[in-house]
Amino acid sequence: MHLNSDLIFRSLAEGIFLLDETGRITTCNPAASAITGYDATEIEAKPFYAIGEGQDDPIKYRYELDQALKKKKFVVEGWKMRKDHTRYWAETSYSPVFDESGHLTGYCVLLRDINEQKKREFDLLESEERYRLMVEAIRDYSIFMLDPDGNVMTWNDGGTFIHGYSESEILGKHFSVFYLSADLIDEKPKKKLQIASESGSYREEGWRVKKGGSLFWASVVLTALFNDRNMLIGYSKVTRDLTHRLKDEEILRQSEARYRSLVEQVGDYGIFMLDTKGRIISWNEGARRIKGYSAEDVIGKYFSIFYPEEDILNGKPAWELKVARSTGKYEEEGWRLRKDGSRFWASIVITAVYDTESRLSGFSKVTRDLTERKMSEQALQESSDKYRQLAEELSVTNGELSSVNRELEQFTAIVSHDLKEPVRTVRSFLHLMDQHLDQQKFDLLKASIGKGILAAQRMHDLIDNLLHYSQISKIGLERQKLKVANVIGEAIQNLNDAIEQSGAHIRVDSDVPFIYGDRVQLVQLFQNLLANALKFTNGSTPEVQVKSWMEDGSVRFVVHDNGIGISPQNLEKIFEIFRRLHFSDQYQGNGVGLAVCKKVVERHRGKIWAESVQGNGASFHIVLPKI
Amino acid sequence: MRTFRLAIVENDEDERFFMSEAFRASGEFEILGEFGNGDQLTEWLHESPRELPELVLSDLNMPGKNGYDIIDELKTTYPDIAVFATSTSSVVSTREKCMRAGAKDFIAKPDIFIAYDSFVAEFYQLACQCLGG
Repeated sequence: MHLNSDLIFRSLAEGIFLLDETGRITTCNPAASAITGYDATEIEAKPFYAIGEGQDDPIKYRYELDQALKKKKFVVEGWKMRKDHTRYWAETSYSPVFDESGHLTGYCVLLRDINEQKKREFDLLESEERYRLMVEAIRDYSIFMLDPDGNVMTWNDGGTFIHGYSESEILGKHFSVFYLSADLIDEKPKKKLQIASESGSYREEGWRVKKGGSLFWASVVLTALFNDRNMLIGYSKVTRDLTHRLKDEEILRQSEARYRSLVEQVGDYGIFMLDTKGRIISWNEGARRIKGYSAEDVIGKYFSIFYPEEDILNGKPAWELKVARSTGKYEEEGWRLRKDGSRFWASIVITAVYDTESRLSGFSKVTRDLTERKMSEQALQESSDKYRQLAEELSVTNGELSSVNRELEQFTAIVSHDLKEPVRTVRSFLHLMDQHLDQQKFDLLKASIGKGILAAQRMHDLIDNLLHYSQISKIGLERQKLKVANVIGEAIQNLNDAIEQSGAHIRVDSDVPFIYGDRVQLVQLFQNLLANALKFTNGSTPEVQVKSWMEDGSVRFVVHDNGIGISPQNLEKIFEIFRRLHFSDQYQGNGVGLAVCKKVVERHRGKIWAESVQGNGASFHIVLPKI
Repeated sequence: MRTFRLAIVENDEDERFFMSEAFRASGEFEILGEFGNGDQLTEWLHESPRELPELVLSDLNMPGKNGYDIIDELKTTYPDIAVFATSTSSVVSTREKCMRAGAKDFIAKPDIFIAYDSFVAEFYQLACQCLGG
């Protein structure tokens, strides 16, 4: 295949124009036509600038050609316009062409449409510019670039604002100007760059120097920058001024200090801190007052020194911390020890204290001395007990008064009924006798006189019995230890005549040797019961049994007879005073005996009741307290 | 003039004697029976007498079944019989106690038992009010 220059010219993918020595177009290849839209014939003999950017500029064109001639090659970039008036970014490369003798014969022009490439460059530039502007406008952060050696390459508003340097002052300077002289001696800047390059980044907070020499508290992030070939090309450095935050922290510290001094000065509460092991790490005035230890005495000691020995042996202090740790809090009241060994009644609260990362950092313990309060509570309790006792005594007295009152009412009723009756009878017969005398019926007088005398006698007996009955409740009880056998024996002795007359058998089975009470009254009690047993019979020989035994801490007596018994509706009535179930011509009596029995038993704080089964006599039951 | 069938319950024989004398003398009452206490009265009533009393006049204090027992018992066993209570007591509480228990009324006995005339007159008035005369 024959390779000639014309063929190459035609086939070349690059756009080629051939110009004569004056710069007019002689021809162009198809690739050039494809770029410009003009056929070679259309532009023949025209100056090359005719296919330029639309504005003929022969002066600039002449200059470009001269430059090409001088430098043998001259490249320009710029806008050009196609035949259809669309713009494109073109790279134009001029080369002068010489003949064998070295005379200029024309120019060869290489035209490239680098529109796409240019556009990418533009976009990139635009984006980089945006970032640059953004970074430069940030005022709160100082953001700048260092070269691999640590010299400042870029600067932003934040840098000016924070460090005090303007861009022109700082560019090219080494970043160690921001450091304290002490840090420089330590070669800190160098070390930091090294750490950043090795680990990618380095952050710290620390003091930095401003342009004027004043200090600020800086938060610094140094980031190593690598290019796509992984070569270190520099560092970015972002710096924040945290002096303000530091001020806040200082305020916080001051507030903490105030709080601490407040706690330290509280006098009524012992407030102190323990470390996680239970060692005392702080102490306040209240703790000093309550426990008697000074801060020097206790700081560093285990808080178990406040506990009585038995608590320590039981492991109580440690247990309390365990509870506080697991539940957050431990509360109790109990005895604690002062320095001098004296006890005080303490109310304590142990609270687990956690740091910001929720780790147990120790315990707070608040102690109050409640000894005085406890004492006054106890005193109050005692006085209230005393009052309650007093109230109980009053209530008992009141009860006694009520019962006396009831007795008085009963007495009134008795006087109005039972005593009035015989008086009325006597009066009636006296009036009757008066009538008899008026009517001269002397023979009738005797009978009336006899009935009057009987009534007067009944009156006398009633008054005696009533006095006897009221005596029982009036005279003080003489409590003494009595042999049961003696009491019952004396009662039997007093009834000797009646027993002999009736031929009665009285059997005593007493399991209880002793009782406590008033001898006279208890003898009266058994005497009355036995007398009734002898009296209320159907004519058969009385069989009486007296038994006693212990029962629920009380003494139980039963007096059982084989007499006429008592019908159920009368079992309670029989104990009423002057209550009689029978006419006196049937069974003699005054209606006082069982009323006396009841009174005696009640005065001995006991109970009496009657039981009777049809045809099987009656039994009287008595329960007396043992003492 | 209407007469009332009456039973008298009084334990004191002399008292009962003068009482019934006064009732008979008035001619306003027919005395069906005289009893010493409640036991005797109820025993008689249970034996189904030919005629039942319209009125019972009962003393309060008696051995055995007393006046209160009679008021109590007749209230259920013989509700048609009007029971009147009497006693030497003129205490208000006694009268109230009787009325509460179910007595038609209460009349205090005269100061002396030979002066029952006015008692009988008063009782007749009460009986008329109670049963209609």
